[in-house]
Amino acid sequence: MTNDDLYWMGIDLANGILSGAMLGGYYALISVGLALNFGVMRLINLAHGDWIIVAAYICATIATASGLQPFWTLVIVVPVMYAVGYGVQRGLLNHISVQAAERRGMSPVYGLMLPLLVTFGLSIVLSQGMLLIFSADTTAIKNDLSYSAISLSADLSISLLRFGFFIAAAVLLGGLALWLKTTHIGRAIRAASDDPETAALMGMRTPHIYSVASGVALASAGIAGFMVGMSRSFQPFDGPSFLLMAFGVVVLGGLGSLLGTLVGGIVLGIVQVLAGTYFGPAAQQVAGYLVILMVLALRPQGLLAKPSR
Amino acid sequence: MSTSAAETAKAGATILAGAAAAPPAAAGVPDLRINSLSAYYGELRAVHDVSLELRRGDVLAIIGANGAGKSTLLRSMVGLVNHGARSHTRGSIEFDGKRLDKLSPAEIVDAGVTLVPEGRRLFARMSVEDNLLAGAYLPRCRPTIPRKLEEIYSLFPRLRERKSQLVSQMSGGEQQMVAIGRALMSSPKLIAFDELSLGLSPAMVEEIYKNLSAIIAGGAIGILVEQDLKRALGACTRFCVMLEGSIVLEGRPQDVRVEDITAAYFGSTHPHSRSEAPGARDARG
Repeated sequence: MTNDDLYWMGIDLANGILSGAMLGGYYALISVGLALNFGVMRLINLAHGDWIIVAAYICATIATASGLQPFWTLVIVVPVMYAVGYGVQRGLLNHISVQAAERRGMSPVYGLMLPLLVTFGLSIVLSQGMLLIFSADTTAIKNDLSYSAISLSADLSISLLRFGFFIAAAVLLGGLALWLKTTHIGRAIRAASDDPETAALMGMRTPHIYSVASGVALASAGIAGFMVGMSRSFQPFDGPSFLLMAFGVVVLGGLGSLLGTLVGGIVLGIVQVLAGTYFGPAAQQVAGYLVILMVLALRPQGLLAKPSR
Repeated sequence: MSTSAAETAKAGATILAGAAAAPPAAAGVPDLRINSLSAYYGELRAVHDVSLELRRGDVLAIIGANGAGKSTLLRSMVGLVNHGARSHTRGSIEFDGKRLDKLSPAEIVDAGVTLVPEGRRLFARMSVEDNLLAGAYLPRCRPTIPRKLEEIYSLFPRLRERKSQLVSQMSGGEQQMVAIGRALMSSPKLIAFDELSLGLSPAMVEEIYKNLSAIIAGGAIGILVEQDLKRALGACTRFCVMLEGSIVLEGRPQDVRVEDITAAYFGSTHPHSRSEAPGARDARG
């Protein structure tokens, strides 16, 4: 083996790890809302992926209609998604949740099944609604960043957009963790997720607190939708594939752990890119799911989460 | 304990300074009035036609065997029985002129009534200080947080040493201190303790009871549900004995013979029977 071969092996590996890690930031942002919903309310939101696509459509529509730089669409889409998340939780999901079932003395099976059925139905309504409004054609948020790259050396570079996503993911997840740790509402979210009845004894209004958590989850889905629209084309039925991806990341990192979501995203990203580099594009998805299976078999609580109580 | 008893008493007195500073209720009008309260879990009636009146400064001990309805009475007062379709109450609970039985648990805390629940029910994945801060969630409590924390730490110095420790890693007694501190963070005007000494070491019970009089001093109402008869009678100004959901005996501890209380506790018709004393700490089992 010549020095040249070694050099290129090293470059391949470095490229794979770098761009995989960058991809991980993108995965983490797609997944954090799902992690938050499950971590706080034990709610599995099957419409999560569809909300991401809804946000992507909102961004694309605003960007096209206004001619503004795509980044400005975030100013609208994030608060709008927060409000939608708050409203859907308050008006719908709070009444069919695990906690509602407990309160009514219903079997826990209802508490688990009802939200699954309702969010599955919501997923269908959302995707069909988007089909009606936007048609089945693919679309994207037009921007000139998609092909820009940062060169680290002659043969090593990372996509500017992916780098931006990675930074955004790190900042957002870090900010979210800090918010949960240090603010009154963050503490209330943790308390209500641990023991709703005792949280109420502290003066916490759990329906409001769950709704804030859901609002934040959908606001993060809004940012994720923006990123999806910036980096690829999408159509109304793409939601479930993002949901599946988010499930993978959340299971990898550990349910309910925000840092785990970032680590899970990075691990999945690196594995997929390396598998693509060495075994061809077809191996990407397979390798990703193999890793998820392995983690489930060896460390079912995920990479970072502590074993549940 | 490194603080002297005098310091402790001072800390306890200031803890409820908010309550003491409130305008005194008109003479003769009780601050807490429970009127013909019954509480049901589905078809099961756990509390039957209970009436009680308490004024600022009263410490009521509710005594009774397991299943007598003591906890349900406390839970009714903080809105946990009316909350949900499985259980409900009849009758009324008035505090400071507000109908507590019409309010949600969160609104009841805001009205100044709080419960230290049985089994402590701390937020296990949070630190000591985060648990205390959770107790000050209501907007009216937030401006006084630094002062309250300081008061609780001087009442229970070992909490200050361990403020960043996860509560799940602490002993039962330390957890009970956190639970009491958490309830005090909301500056309650009525504080109820459910099974305060259950499962704690005698030394720990001693330390908590030593501070208890200080905690309840200063114009608040205290309600104690306690299996340990001797402790409860030593700490209260009034007591009532519950049997099968009803109050069967009430009065002031100095006016009643322990034998009569024991008899009422067991529902015995022989007031002088000396069967098993309820003061034993394992009376629950």
